[in-house]
Formats: sequence, C-alpha cells, structure tokens
Amino acid sequence: MLHKKSKFSGAPKRVLTSMLLAGTILTAAGVTHAAMASEKVVIAVSPLGADSNLYWTTTGAFIFPSMQTLVGNDAATGKYDNSQLAESWEHNEDFTSWTFKLHPNAEFNGEWGPVTAADVVHSFNIHTGDDAKLSGIKQLKTATITAVDDHTVRFDLPSPVPNFLFSHAGRGSLVIYSKAQFEAEGIEGYETAPAGSGPFQYEGREVGQSLTFTTIKDHWTGVSPEFDEIEFRWVSEPSTRFAMLSAGEAHAVTLPRDLREDAAEAGQSVLSSSAGAMQSTMLFTGQFMNPEAEETRDARTYAWADVRVREAVNRALDRDGILEVLYGEGVEALPVYTMDPRFPGYSQDLADRFDADYGYDPEKAMALLKEAGYPDAFDNAAIPLVVTSLAGNPEFAQMAELVQAYLDVVGIQTEMREQDWATGNTAIRGFTADFVTPMRNAPVRPAALGVQIFFTDQASPHLNVGDPEINDLGAKLVSETNPALRDELLQGMFTRIFDGYAHIPMAAVPASVVVNSDLVEGWSFPGSTSSGLSHYELIDLK
Amino acid sequence: MGLRTALMCKKFKEYAVLKYLARRVASSLFALLVITVIVFLLSHLSGNPVDALLPDDASQEQIDAFIRDWGLDKPLWQQYATFLGNAVHGDFGTSLKWQGEDAMGFVLDRMPATLQLGGLAILMSVVIALPLGVAAAVYKGTPIDNSAQMFALLGQSMPNFWLGIVLIWVFSVWLGWLPTSGMGTIYHAILPAIAIAWFQVSALARLTRSAMLEVLDAEYIKLARVKGVSESVVIWKHALRNAAVVPLTYFGILAASILTGSVVIETVFSWPGMGWVAIEAIRGRDFPVVQAVIIAYAVIYMISNLVVDLLYVAIDPRIRND
Repeated sequence: MLHKKSKFSGAPKRVLTSMLLAGTILTAAGVTHAAMASEKVVIAVSPLGADSNLYWTTTGAFIFPSMQTLVGNDAATGKYDNSQLAESWEHNEDFTSWTFKLHPNAEFNGEWGPVTAADVVHSFNIHTGDDAKLSGIKQLKTATITAVDDHTVRFDLPSPVPNFLFSHAGRGSLVIYSKAQFEAEGIEGYETAPAGSGPFQYEGREVGQSLTFTTIKDHWTGVSPEFDEIEFRWVSEPSTRFAMLSAGEAHAVTLPRDLREDAAEAGQSVLSSSAGAMQSTMLFTGQFMNPEAEETRDARTYAWADVRVREAVNRALDRDGILEVLYGEGVEALPVYTMDPRFPGYSQDLADRFDADYGYDPEKAMALLKEAGYPDAFDNAAIPLVVTSLAGNPEFAQMAELVQAYLDVVGIQTEMREQDWATGNTAIRGFTADFVTPMRNAPVRPAALGVQIFFTDQASPHLNVGDPEINDLGAKLVSETNPALRDELLQGMFTRIFDGYAHIPMAAVPASVVVNSDLVEGWSFPGSTSSGLSHYELIDLK
Repeated sequence: MGLRTALMCKKFKEYAVLKYLARRVASSLFALLVITVIVFLLSHLSGNPVDALLPDDASQEQIDAFIRDWGLDKPLWQQYATFLGNAVHGDFGTSLKWQGEDAMGFVLDRMPATLQLGGLAILMSVVIALPLGVAAAVYKGTPIDNSAQMFALLGQSMPNFWLGIVLIWVFSVWLGWLPTSGMGTIYHAILPAIAIAWFQVSALARLTRSAMLEVLDAEYIKLARVKGVSESVVIWKHALRNAAVVPLTYFGILAASILTGSVVIETVFSWPGMGWVAIEAIRGRDFPVVQAVIIAYAVIYMISNLVVDLLYVAIDPRIRND
C-alpha cells in the first residue's frame, strides 16, 4: 500500500508545475488577447436582433460606422448638425416639403465616387420597399423624393412633419448607399461589402460574431480616428463582456447596471452619453381612460381604470430609491414620458409640480385606495406587472419587482407576469394586453412623435389610452404647423397625461458604456441612436 | 444436421438483430415526427415573430407584409403541413434573423464548431475520467479516492454556466493565460471544453470506479495476482477491459449530452456553434432556425441512442436473443 501511495505522492507537485509551465507557455505564445495592438479598437455589445448588411431589413438598431445618414447629431449636445451628408436643409412654411443640400465633397469609400442626389433617391427607394423593417420608416413611405440637382434632394410629405430631421439623424430611417455599387454589383454587392461614406470602411463580418471596419485615411470630412481598425463583437453574456473588458480584450463594453458598478469599483470608467438616450416608464395598457371602451376589451374592469388607483400607484413609489437601484446616481425622474426639454412641448410647470403630485406618499396612496373602495370595488383588483427584459434594458425585470414591492406596502395587489418582450408586444398589438408593462423610448423621440405613439390613436392605436381629450389634441397636432400652437397643444396633452396619472413615469436615462481605463481616455457621444452608441471616431485612446 | 442447425440459428439471430434495428429506427422516426409537432407548436404558441422582428412602431402595412411573406396568415395545421413537407426535403426555410441564410444550412454550418468543442470535451472526459475512476477504485478509501470523489462531487454540483464564468475569470482575467471567449485557435476551446467536460468526467469517473471495484473483487483477478502478473497489467489489462463495459455504454449518452449540453456554454463563451445558434434564434423568434436546430439536435440524440442500443446488442447476448 505504501508503495502504491508513493507512486502518486509526487503528483500534486507535478500537476502544479505542469499548470504553471502551461500558463507560461500560453502567455508567452500570446494566445491571450490582453496585449492586443492598440490600433484596433474592440467594442463588445449584445447581439443584434437582425444580422444583415442591408440596413433597411433590420429594425435600425445599429448603423454601421461606415454608413452615413443625411443629418448628424452633435456629440456634445445631441442637437442636429451637418456632420453627416447634408450640408444644410430647409423646409417650407407648413413642414410638408424638406430640401437637403449635400456636402459637395462627400464621397463613398472604395472608389465608388461622389455622393449625389441620385444616391439619396436610390437609397430612399430601397429603404421604402416591401422588405423594409426599419423603425420610423412608415413616415418616409408617405413621402415622395425628387433630385433637384446633383447635390440637392427634396422630400414632399402629405401632411406637416415638423420632426422630419429626427428620421434622418440618429434614428437612421434613411442610410445612404451607393447607387454606383448597386448598378455594378447588385444587391449582392451590398450583402458582401456595402460601400458607405463614413470615416470607416466595411471590412467583413463573422456571422453572428463580429463586424470589422478599417479607418479611412484622409476622409472627406477631415475626421481622423486615432486607430486603424474597429471591431464590434456580439457577446450575449454580460459577465463575459465584463471579463473581456477586464482582460483587456475589449476597449469598451455595454453592461447592465450591477456589473457597471462592479466595473467601476475595479477601476474601469463608465462613460455616459452627453444627452438623455432613453426614457423609461411603466405603461398601463388598454383604453382605460375611455369612458366607452368596450370596443376591443373590457378595460373598465381593470383597477387602473380608476384615476384614484392610478394616483395611488404613483404615490406609492419612492422613485428616488427605485431609480438609484435601477440606474445609479445622477439619473433624473421623468415628469411625463415622451416629454423632453430638447423638444417643443416641454412644460416646466409640470416638472415643477412633479414632486408635489407624484412624490412618495404611502399614506396618501392608502387613503386614495380606501376612497376608491379598493380592492372590493374592482373585479380585477390585482395588477399584473410584466417581468420582462429587452435588449439594452436589462433593468426592466427589476423595475417591475421594485414597483411590486412598493405597491405591496400600500396594499395594492399585484401579480408578477413573466413574459418575454415579444409576447407582451403580441398582446399589445392584438389589443388583448391587460397588464402594466415597462416601456422605453429610445432614442428619445421628438415629443410630438412620442406622445402620439404612446398615448393616442394617431400613431400606434394599440397604445392609445383612450382619453377623448388627449386624442382630440393629438388629432389637432397632426395638422397644426404653427410652432407656438403646436407647443400649446403638446403642453395640453402632457398636462392631461400628468393630471390623469395616465402612466407611471420613471426616468430619463443616458446611454452608458464601460471602457477599459488603461486603454481609453474618453469618448463623447450624444446617445441619439437606438443603441445609444455612435461617434466611434471620437474614441480617444491612451 | 448439426451444421444446418447452427446456420439456421445464425440466420435467425441475424434476422432478430435486423428486426430489432428496424424497430428502433422506426420508433426513432416516430419520435422525430412527434418532436416536429412539439417544436412547431411551441415555437408558434410562444409568441409572434412579428413582435420580435419588426420595430415597436411598425405600420399595419409592414406587419401585414411580414405576415404574408412568412405565411403566418395561414391556419396552423397548414403551416405545419408545409413545414413538414419542406422539412422532409431538408428545407426549413430561410432565417429571419440571419437574413438570406438557409435555416438548416446555417445550423449545419455551425455544427463543426460544436463538434470541435464537443470532441475536445469528450476527449477530456475520457482521458481524465478513466484514470481517475481506476485510481479511485485501486486506492479505495485513501486520500486519492477521496480527492477523486470530491472532484466528481464538485463537477456534478456546479452549474456549468457558473463554472464557465469562474474559469474565464481565473484563467483569462487573473492569470491571462487563455482568451475569454470567441473562436479561432485551440486555446479558445480549452475553457469551454473544461466547463462542459467536468460534469461528464464526474459521471464517467464514478461509473468507472464502481465497475472497477466490482471487477477487482472477481476471482480471476485474484488468480492473476496469485500467478504473479504485475499489478499494472492486472489493473489496466484484465480489470479495466472487463470494467469498461459500463462506461462504454454510457459513452454514447455522454457524447450526445455533451453536444446538446453545450447550449449554455456556447453562449457564455460566445462560441458560434449550434447551441449558440439555438439561443440566439429563440431570442430572435427565428422560427425556421429554431426548428432546424432542434431537429438537428434530436437527430444527433437519436443516432447516439441508437448506437448505444446497438452496442448493448453487441455486448449483451440476452438482448440479441430477445
């Protein structure tokens, strides 16, 4: 027996020695990416919903850095600027005709020639085809486009669209492809390597894994990134992205809030967009404010059909606490979802009243519930809260859980309903939704557009809360072109939403990215795109 | 007469084996059919792809066009019939997420990555588990046995996704020896293969240990020792050869479960195999790919089980004679 033991007695030492030797060899062989060349920037993010070089066949979640839109967003303020293909623009008096003048020196990468009005018209045509899935594309589909001259295009719209620039900026409803490339290579050319006019050139993709772009030398805009290559890696697991950042394999990663904190504690830098990238809320579904809402469902039986219950729900929430848990410090509560100080319709009065009317007051909440006869007076007293997640919004599940905890304190019954985002959407679109669900507005739409989508029957009828007054104001807004009157109408709508406690507003949130503090000095981006990220050329390396 | 009887017996046995094989193939095909129904219904009842693949503000026109293009406006049974008819010809449609890609083609393109990872994991399992199991049996009750048991317990207790993340942090972030994720070199495969293999090492080592313990008590082993055969020959030749029957039959199940069990690990390590495709397709409501990948997994599993059944037939004459 002793003999047998002696055969193995040296094993642990040998194993340890072998492991150290293997590690030394692996490290020396440079198999780890930690010591990666500084001229290649790697950004690791969640995989995209659709993986395609044909932008219009995606929902517009990611604009390639090689591609450009007509209108840009200033990196520091988020305001529209001429950093993309349009040098200037103008509109007629009633906002039904928009004319864009292209930069005369704009050109496509890969020797596909100058960017002209013909390229814009061609891109417009492919973006508005049957296979287009882009967010916001329905507005462009109603437009007609005319090439006025080589460098001027005009969009004519059937009704006033004061927010037309939004479609052409970070929202990216129209990305400009090369007509010359299409004529030479057909759609296959785009599928293989679409030529763009941005400061990067498309190099290739590993399907579902990564996208790579190289930097253009002497780009027509004069922009000159300080690195040679940028690679986007799609990595589903947040912990893996965090590890990539920590191991020096990635320069920047997107992380959920809890891991962002861990990363910051570990010495990495969290960078936020210069402007709000997203608004979040929890929406009551159904036409609960419609006194005659029997058309599609029995909305009146929901507890939240009673304004006192809706106010009690809002009063029961300690938003400061919730927002700190969900988003961290520095994130502000939002008075009205879709209202934003950058856009017309903003009401300082509502912002000022927010604490008084929506502040944390459990006693008031309980008194309101008692007055409403809750729960006995309601057929459906329990409020189903949707526990879900959405790419870019990992905090949604926790949001529902926190709301549930606060509602429970004041005696509001809840039912946690775990469902994926698409299932919720199916119910909403099918007019069968009977829950309270987290929702986001990203990129932050112009208020006039957002309020129509989320509260009226004008843009997305399935989200219509059914209030006759809000719908009436929304209908007037569609045809109103006078800026002052539009502002007034919007403020009227926001006031009605606010006073009627028509939703549970949460926060205006900047886009965040975590960068490796040993590799990246800074990066300024406005949070104006769907993903929140943009202006990759401004990544400042150490 | 004796020869004739022997020939008849042989033919009868061959017939019995063929009959057994045909019965197993038929039941596998039937199971596959049932799986297609379940997969089809589950993928269609769990939500509408419209809501995953079109933006929130999609117009009714966009929605209608999408539904029409993908045949989602037809009755469910009709969609299933079309699906089954096409599937028989290997046509599972085109991917909704990875646009332009043939669904089954896309899945099969990912298969080498999964086989590469699975192959390495199987290799690790066998190379580690057999000696570990043998050592644990030979040194029963010693610290070696206890260590092996502890190792097995750990492997069977730790969720593999958690183990994967721990491995990444230890070997990629702290030690910097291996890449965190992705695919490219053999070094990329080491950590995910360990994460997959550890559980199987534990199972295989325990099976080997118990089989070895049984065999080591056998009379012929004692006889071999009495005859002066060296201990290593006794263990590795006489004992292991007989004890290997148990782990060998488990091997088929192990191979299949490693391939299908790589789903989570491929996602953690961003390894672009079939498991990764499965998760991404489910997230994206990519029906054609979800159906293709599950059918592919089902076929792999069935083939593995069939091979195991045949191994049983080859090894155990009682099944053959039945």
